Parts: sequence; C-alpha cells; structure tokens
Amino acid sequence: MRTVHPSIIIGSYVWDEAWLPRDEFQIRTAALNRAMDEHGWKAVLIYGDARDSAALAYFSNFIPRVRWGMALLPRQGEPRLLCSMSSRDMPGMRLMTWIPDVHSGWEWERNFDSWLAGIAGAETVEFGTIGFDLMQPTLAEQLAKSLGNRVRLVAADTLLPADRALRPRELSLLREGTEITNDAAAALLDAWRAGEGAEAAALEGERHARAKAAQDVRTLVSLDGGQSLAPFSGAFAAKTGALLAYIAVQTMGFWSEIFVTDAAKAPAMLKRAEAGLAALLAAARPDARAAALHAAAVAPLGSRALHPVLSGSVGRRIGLGLDEGGALTKDGDAVLRAGQVYGFHVGGWDEAEGAAIVSAAAEITAAGARVLCSSADARQRGRQR
Amino acid sequence: MCGSEKLPVKDMHLTTSETSRLQSICRILEEQQLDALIAFNNGQNLFLDANAVFVLTGVRPLAESAVVIGRDGISTLIVTPAWDGGRATRITRSNHVMSSDDLPAALRDALRRHRIDPKKCLTTGLQTLGNGLVCRIEAALGGKPLADKHLIAELARVRSPEERAAAQRATEIAERGYERMLEVARPGLREYELAAELYCAMKRLGAEDNFLLVSASQHNLAVRAAGNRRLDIGDIILSEITPCFHGQFAQLCRTTVIGRPSALLEEKYAVLQAAMRRGQAAAVPGAAVRDVTAVMDDCFREAGYGDYCRPPYMRVRGHGLGITSDQPGDITADSNVKLEEGMIFVMHPNQYLPETGYLMCGEPVVITRGGAEALSARRAALDFVPA
Repeated sequence: MRTVHPSIIIGSYVWDEAWLPRDEFQIRTAALNRAMDEHGWKAVLIYGDARDSAALAYFSNFIPRVRWGMALLPRQGEPRLLCSMSSRDMPGMRLMTWIPDVHSGWEWERNFDSWLAGIAGAETVEFGTIGFDLMQPTLAEQLAKSLGNRVRLVAADTLLPADRALRPRELSLLREGTEITNDAAAALLDAWRAGEGAEAAALEGERHARAKAAQDVRTLVSLDGGQSLAPFSGAFAAKTGALLAYIAVQTMGFWSEIFVTDAAKAPAMLKRAEAGLAALLAAARPDARAAALHAAAVAPLGSRALHPVLSGSVGRRIGLGLDEGGALTKDGDAVLRAGQVYGFHVGGWDEAEGAAIVSAAAEITAAGARVLCSSADARQRGRQR
Repeated sequence: MCGSEKLPVKDMHLTTSETSRLQSICRILEEQQLDALIAFNNGQNLFLDANAVFVLTGVRPLAESAVVIGRDGISTLIVTPAWDGGRATRITRSNHVMSSDDLPAALRDALRRHRIDPKKCLTTGLQTLGNGLVCRIEAALGGKPLADKHLIAELARVRSPEERAAAQRATEIAERGYERMLEVARPGLREYELAAELYCAMKRLGAEDNFLLVSASQHNLAVRAAGNRRLDIGDIILSEITPCFHGQFAQLCRTTVIGRPSALLEEKYAVLQAAMRRGQAAAVPGAAVRDVTAVMDDCFREAGYGDYCRPPYMRVRGHGLGITSDQPGDITADSNVKLEEGMIFVMHPNQYLPETGYLMCGEPVVITRGGAEALSARRAALDFVPA
C-alpha cells in the first residue's frame, strides 16, 4: 500500500551480525561477481532511496533514512558506500552496513572519483547498475560527468530477480518482525474498542510498534465510512460506527502489514472478505497462478468490486519492500514460488454491506501458505490482552 | 484512470498569499509566452526541500504527483495512486483533480483536455523524480522541457501569515514534545523507546510528520536516529525535534544531561548559547547569510575552537525548513543569500567540542527588523533529568 512517506525513517536499524553474518553478504554478492566475470564488468553500482531500497539493502544491508544511498561493489578492490548525508553523519551510517568504507555523497568528487580512480584506468570499461531508474537526474548527471567516456553503464537489474524467494535468514528476520506487526494491529484494535477514534487508535498501534524497536511504521485509516483510506491528518475525529484501518511495520529491514476491520455489528462485507481470504490462502501454494488466485479470492464477493484501495490486486510479494511485485490481479502472470512471502488481502465496500478488508502475510511453502500475521491473529490477540 | 470527465471548474478560496503566488506564476508564463507550468513532486517530503505540489495545491501526495497551472490560472492536480483521488479532491485548492496509477499518461491527458502545447510548458520539481519516470514524462512532453528548479522555493521564500501561524503551532508542538522527553527520559530506557514516546506524543498533538533524531552517549560525535542503546547516568541526550504541522516544519535542537551537568559542560554549552544570541542579533533583513554565520563562528573562534568550525565537527549553522520553501538555504560561511523579513528557518550553532562531544542549541526563527526572533517560548538551555 502506498502511504505518505515520512521526512526521515526514525526507527532503530543497524547491521546485526547475529541475524545476518558477513558470509550472508558474500553469498549474495557472489551473483554479482559471477555476472562481472561473465560480462567483463569492473564493478556493479547499486542505487536505492529512502522509499525504495530493496536491492540496495539486499546487497549492502544499508537502508537510507533520507534521500539516497549507493553501493560501489568492484570485482577487484574495496567496496564503498556513498549516502546522501553530511560527513558529520557518517559514524551513524556505518552502523547500518557491512561495507566498512562509508562516505558522504555530498562530497561527490572526493568520494566517488577517488574510488573510481582505483577501478577504471584509461581504457573504457563497463559497470553493471541496479536501481538506476530510481536515481534523480541531478545525481545521474553528476555520475555521468565523473564517468566521462571511461565507463559505460549496463543495466543489470535482473541480477536480483523480481520473483526471487527469500533466503532462510531473511525469512527468519521477517518472521521476527511479524510478531511486532501482529501486536501493533492488536493494540490498534484494542484502542478502537476502548473508545478511541480511528486516527487515535492507529497512533496507539504505531506507538506500540515503535516502542518495540520498529524501524518504520505506516498507517492508513478510513474517514469516509470505509470507501477509502487516508494517511494521518491529525484531526482525531471521534469514533464512528466502523473501523477500517491498515498498519504496516518494518523491523530490521523487513515489512509486514495487516488490515483491521471492526464494528459493533460486523458488516456483511466482512464475512465475504474472510471467505475470500480463506479461499486465497487455501489455494496459495507453489506454482499457483495469479489469475486463479484472484478468481478464488473474489468469488465470495459476488458481483461486488474488490475494494478500490487494493488496486485490483489480492496480493503481492513483501520483504525488503511492501510491494516487491507479483501482483495477484485478474489478468496477472505472477506464479507463486516456495520461499516467497506474500501479503494477501481481500475486501470490498458496498452501500448495503459496508466495508471490510482482511489480510494475511504468508510464507509460501511446499505444503501451502504458512500464515505469519493476519487480521484474524490481531483480533485474537486483541481479545486476549 | 480515475478523474472527472467533465473537469468542472471548482470554486477556489485562496488566501492573499496563495493568490499572489498564483499571479506570479501567471505573469511568468505570460512574459515567456508559455502555456502552462507543470510542477512535480516525488512524495518524499524532504524537510529541507520545497514540495511544489504541496505549495500549489495544499495536498501532500502519497506518491509521485504533478500540478498543471495554465496561463489563465486554472490548475489541475494529478495524484497517484488512483485510489487517493477522493482525499485529494476534498483538500486541494486546485480547480480539477485527476487520479491515476500512471502519471505520464494522466499528464498527457490533462494537457490534451486543456489544449496546452506540451512544448510550451515550464516545469519545476521534475528533478525530484526518478530517471525512469522522468524519461516517460519527457516523452509525454515531446522532449526535455524548460525547467526552473527553484521557482517554487523562491516564490514561497517568505511565509504567508497562515504558514507562519502553522510554523508557530509546529514550534509549540516541538516544545510540548521536549517537555514530554524531560518527563520520561531516565537511565535504563532504550533510545528507541524514548523516540517512540516523543514521536507519538507530538503526533497526538497534530504533527503530521517529524524529522526526529534522538541519541545519547557520554561523548557524542553527532546526533543520529535512535538506536537500541540504553540511557545511562551521565549521558548527554541530543535531540533534533522537528514536527511538521500543516506543511510547516519547526525545529528545536536540545541537549539534556542525565544527572547534574559538570561545570565544564555548562561552560562549554554557554559558548553555543552565546553564538545563538549573536546570530539572532545579526540576522536582520538585508543581512547576508555568510555574515550571520561568521558572527556565530566568531564565538567559537574566540573560545579557541576555530579549527572545529567545519565538518565533521558541525554541519551548518542553520537551514531552511521545508516543505514550503527551503530558503534561505543552509546558513553557511559561503552563502550570499540576503535575509528577508518574514523568512523562517532554524538557527542552530550545534558544535562538536573536544572536551564535551557534540552539543546542540537551536530554535526556529523568523526574520524581523530587530533580528531573528525565536518562535519558541523557551530558549535552549543545558537541561538535566534526574539520574
């Protein structure tokens, strides 16, 4: 789900070798080394920004808190990481990556050109690039000026396959994070049931997650009877008859999310949504196809449309991003694979039946979908608190 | 694509400042014989930058967005994703709203509907978007468009009365947030727990965003985002508290000790306070930013710290605050920008000193004839909480 991006990602985040030892990154960058050998590239440059950093995080563990970061990974020589903060901030930035050589991207000539001098000589060479579509033109121009005719850039985005399965250590981290997401959604629900309005309840969920070391938290609530969702406005409207909310939590780099629906009298739409999600989870297994999964999920909605905020999709991969592709749309071509984690979501809005969206984050295993966190879990935890 | 087919002209209720900015844009278009201004934003809400779409429409978009303003002043806001169109329609000052999951296609459609020649458009903010999207937009416009990167930051460099009131409210929220920090900070609390309390307390007061850095050490190198370190007796907590209210960021820089501060620390902190006072006195309308910076740096030079008036021992002596306008920019020794009455920015002679580590002291200020007047009710002091 798209939410308002914050001016800075304030939560706790460091490179924790207990979870991701150095050899994890040697394994990940081995694919880059193979590609460099195969194509004769001298280096791969990986770019990410504060909003979309999945590839950069995968190879470097670095997630920019603001603006951008770029990993410079040569086949021979020392890797370097540049980030868009001042030299004063570098000690804090070094805590977030296995790359020891971290410098300010604001001193571009000093920190990029000096690295380049050790990699590229007089002859024209090639570098692979990942994530360069995200790069802002001003930086791209600066880079082009530094490279001149000495280096030709070759897009290498497929080195991190769009449909990749998460690695075992990634799955462990994601599972750990879903505990916080489940608890945060339960806290949100509890606050609502205790009489808070939607925004205040969402804020309580956020506070709960942040107090448990969440790296980032995003919330959306409906302020129009469930027809749509809106970001935090600070208006704190009084409690209304029904709650439709969304909370996404990033912990140690990995995202998970839960939709929360509640009302004194359950909307008729809720039963349809729950039936749709159950059918989707039952059908979710390796080799299941997007179109079939979509059809299974929306069947209980009958003639009612999928909720507009879902943008026609009943799921997409999550991990280092909240949308890693693989949208499960009516005509989608995504195919589920073991080791992927999907955010599944089903719901609708209808004048007569009200609004409801329910969701589950689930790991795809050979035996089917293993639910890691869900709307149902949050409701259950809420009751137990 | 969503959006109204008929594109009815919505009645706009603009403030005097909004009208004036719109008139300036129309005048520029008229003078340059252009059909329209297209302002873009990437949805990242950087607190040091202007968000052109927010300034011109009042909407903080969720993602990439644009606003097209014709020479007649009629404006069309385009937001992504498509499902955010309802919210945008409710709060925008634009005449029309379109919502889409495909910004370049929607832009092409908007230009066609309003009979705007894509080759006769001025753009601003295009540089905030990613290269891939920029290429698609340039294709929609028939090539690289005429661009003025700083147009909106310049137009909005002096805050309107409404923006100043919002900045004042943001400052009050920051001060209440800091008071909350003094209540809850104690040995044993983890940095992220303190940050969570502070962040959510200010959000409860209406802060829609917050550039919040809170960290602690016995000897800090700089302020950073909260980590998992537990607060300890003798820690110096640094906080850069920057809530945003209705698009106006305000920043307090504070230094707080756990336990009674030492005489040495008090003596060194007084240098920062003196620099702040001198900077405020020097920052009158017409003063050059470089001269204000020099006055602050002089305080450190006189105390024997001239060699430390450069990164990484400090960054800048203050800076503009987005998301309306980043003017007057960074408060540095090489800035020739002239201060103007009504400009709002943060002044902060934050400084690393070898004996104490990094210390912070700063207030949001507005330029008046008498100097830079702090928006905060209480000036930064070396505070402490019980050990």
